[in-house]
Amino acid sequence: MSIAAVIVLMWAVTYPPRWLGLNLGRVKLPPFWLAFLNFVPVSVIAALIVPEVLGSPEWPRRLFASVVGGLIVWRSGNLALGILGGFAAYWAVRALGG
Amino acid sequence: MRTPLLPPGFNFSSYKLAAMPASGPASAFWPAFWRGFRVMIPLWLGMVPFAVAYAVTARASGLSVWETQMMSLTVFAGASQFAAAGLFAGYGMAGGASALGIVATTFLLNARHLLYGLSLSRQVTLTRPQRLIAAQFLTDEAYGMVTVKGGQEPGGPSFGYVLGAELSLYVVWNASTLLGALGGAVLPSPEALGVGVIFPLAFLGLLVPMLRGRVTVLVALASGLAAWGLSRVLPGGLVILLAGVGGALLGAWLTGRKTAVQEAGA
Repeated sequence: MSIAAVIVLMWAVTYPPRWLGLNLGRVKLPPFWLAFLNFVPVSVIAALIVPEVLGSPEWPRRLFASVVGGLIVWRSGNLALGILGGFAAYWAVRALGG
Repeated sequence: MRTPLLPPGFNFSSYKLAAMPASGPASAFWPAFWRGFRVMIPLWLGMVPFAVAYAVTARASGLSVWETQMMSLTVFAGASQFAAAGLFAGYGMAGGASALGIVATTFLLNARHLLYGLSLSRQVTLTRPQRLIAAQFLTDEAYGMVTVKGGQEPGGPSFGYVLGAELSLYVVWNASTLLGALGGAVLPSPEALGVGVIFPLAFLGLLVPMLRGRVTVLVALASGLAAWGLSRVLPGGLVILLAGVGGALLGAWLTGRKTAVQEAGA
């Protein structure tokens, strides 16, 4: 099978889950599953963060950057400032050889 | 909007409503689109080097410039593109990855988008054609940003806002793929630039304002730590799906229990 054909198949298995979820908006759900959906963002976002920080070979730097970035967002409410501040903290530690 | 040439007593707003009934929603699309587009800009810094790195990996595995670009245009899912770029290195050789292996890995890594669509469909009302379009460009980042920042939109996030956020990454990801595919070997790696930390920082910035209430904090902790544990034995996309579902189940169960206790006490 050609590489292009494999890529088309990769597309064919990636698109349907994206589309299917968007189509279930009008399905009536019992309270338990409504609560479930309410917790999906916080749960997914936490699952995206922690392995990228603690599972990284450079985890001490990333942990420090996360603490700094998290504090900035908490105090300022500004996302871009948190990212830049955390990135600056990361580079400060890395430049100092930590 | 001052129009001095109008006769006295002319009611501009009623004229506008009668003459151009479709102008409201139609003219609201582009401002919302650009707001969505702009809200993703802080993430570009982290995206560009990774798209370049993906393209360099894909080219090193023997993909042509066109094949490398085609994957970014169609599949458009970073983690699975990286995995496939690596797997294609041994493609067609004895002991190398098979087509089935690459496609199955892609499916496992990307099945989590079902959860994003499901969650988004409760926040945004989309028509059938809008769903067909929005589905193609759905990513972790667009989902997270629309869910958290979309609440600031008047009347909640609209199709224009969602599409703006989605295409913001699509354009940057594809432009950077082309850059990497053509000249990536001379560009610095994400490790050299240290930009791997931007992805978790961006999501942390989205998570922090959400952490209100004991149950929410508990769900975040449980899901995050479970994902960390699972990531030692399972591929990334599958980890997000399992930990994401597990954490949300925990939250729903704790909420149900709290409600039951409150009702028993009342």
